[in-house]
Amino acid sequence: MGRNVEVIDDVRSIIAKSLKIPIERLTPDARLDEMGAESLDVIEIVFDLEEKFNISIPFKADEGTSLKIPGKDGQEELEFSTVSDLAKAVERLVEAQASK
Amino acid sequence: MNRVVVTGIGVVSPVGSTRVEFWSALVEGRSGIGPLTNVPTERLTTRIAAQVRDFDPSRHFESKRESLLDRFSQFAVVAARAAVKDAQLEITEEIALEAGTIVGNSAGGQNTFDESYFKLYGQNAPRLHPLTIPRLMSNAAVSQVSMDLGLKGPTFTIASACASGTHAIGQAFQMVRSGQVPVAITGGTEACLTVGTIKGWEALRVLSADTCRPFSRTRSGLVLGEGAAIFVIESRDRAMARGAPIYAELSGFGMSADAGDITALDPDGAARAMRAALSDAKLNPEDVDYVNAHGTATVMNDKTETVALRKAFGGSAETLAVSSSKGVLGHSLGAAGALEFAATALALHHQTIPPTANFEEADPACDLDFVPNTARNAPLQNAMSSSFAFGGLNAVLVLSRA
Repeated sequence: MGRNVEVIDDVRSIIAKSLKIPIERLTPDARLDEMGAESLDVIEIVFDLEEKFNISIPFKADEGTSLKIPGKDGQEELEFSTVSDLAKAVERLVEAQASK
Repeated sequence: MNRVVVTGIGVVSPVGSTRVEFWSALVEGRSGIGPLTNVPTERLTTRIAAQVRDFDPSRHFESKRESLLDRFSQFAVVAARAAVKDAQLEITEEIALEAGTIVGNSAGGQNTFDESYFKLYGQNAPRLHPLTIPRLMSNAAVSQVSMDLGLKGPTFTIASACASGTHAIGQAFQMVRSGQVPVAITGGTEACLTVGTIKGWEALRVLSADTCRPFSRTRSGLVLGEGAAIFVIESRDRAMARGAPIYAELSGFGMSADAGDITALDPDGAARAMRAALSDAKLNPEDVDYVNAHGTATVMNDKTETVALRKAFGGSAETLAVSSSKGVLGHSLGAAGALEFAATALALHHQTIPPTANFEEADPACDLDFVPNTARNAPLQNAMSSSFAFGGLNAVLVLSRA
């Protein structure tokens, strides 16, 4: 569990910094749009996560709240709207990167 | 006030560099999108573009001259020469001294920027080529057109991202209409398919991985393009007196700014520009038969543009034909408005609506007549060409049958 807590905390602090809101508001269920994120904010958050974790997040501005990542059986679609969605996606991509 | 007409059209485009090739590809919906080959693609995720293929600058410029011209200037000069020839315009001393030359461009000499910075940062070059600055400055293209044709009147460039070409033509239109200049050479040019620029666009996460499908439910983003379109416009009296070919009449120009989001289109801002153009042309919405839309094929743009068209046209939106040329031409940013103005003028000239290419299935959020895939012959009296730029800058031209 320790590692997951770390990831979600990094995700929270990146979002808090980008949206300029107190980190306490970013509970796991907090939705980015409800926290005031506009499309360019999300793109910046994705960029910061990529830099922080050295991963590539296949996020398209047009697809908004979902993420298509390569899974075991072809493409897998992940939710991408809450703080915990983002943390889960980051963990998956970090694992995929490590197993390469 | 002069009536203003389009008498010459010159293009350099992903589907050919003659007016005839350009128009036949648009009518057939034949896309110029294909593999990106002019730059190294190993570090790019996006490897497609509407690239100008088979453009050999040495066919157009002697080597000493060529070294002065970035690709965006080469496109502009070649298109300007073609427009002047097409208009059968003789550059007399009077024309040379009085004609206006106004060219839109968004990104400057990006190929020069990219090559220079690669040498500087990538290869630790101690110095850059002495013509680096004259090649990359944003006004290089319009200056090269002025020098090439010997035009010495009011000359400048207009930069408003994806609306640059449209703003330039609109400005030139107003100058001919008011009598400030008798003739203008105007349009837009862009050549920014470089590793640096494409990386920047990738970071915005709006590029399609396969192709550009405007207004289709299956659309997946925009595809970058390049090219130039330059026109000769002049007063109708002058054109008639000299027996020049007349493609269309330029009848209205409207502009607005969203003062809102830096990238997202605002339906109110777009609709205000369309209405301003109609009012300038003294036309009602129902007088317009065809709109050549901005239609970039991002989910957001096409949905919002549909809302804007409904706001501007009200009930007559139901019978309006709308198409986007970007399935064929890609999005050439500062040249896009000019290439699409060429498409719109030729639509009036040929009384044919070029289709929206690559259209697969209707989107309930885009519920207008988008003329999918097949051109349509139709009596066209008035048509509109719209450009909506990043930064919230909107420009719309109205043309009428000559």
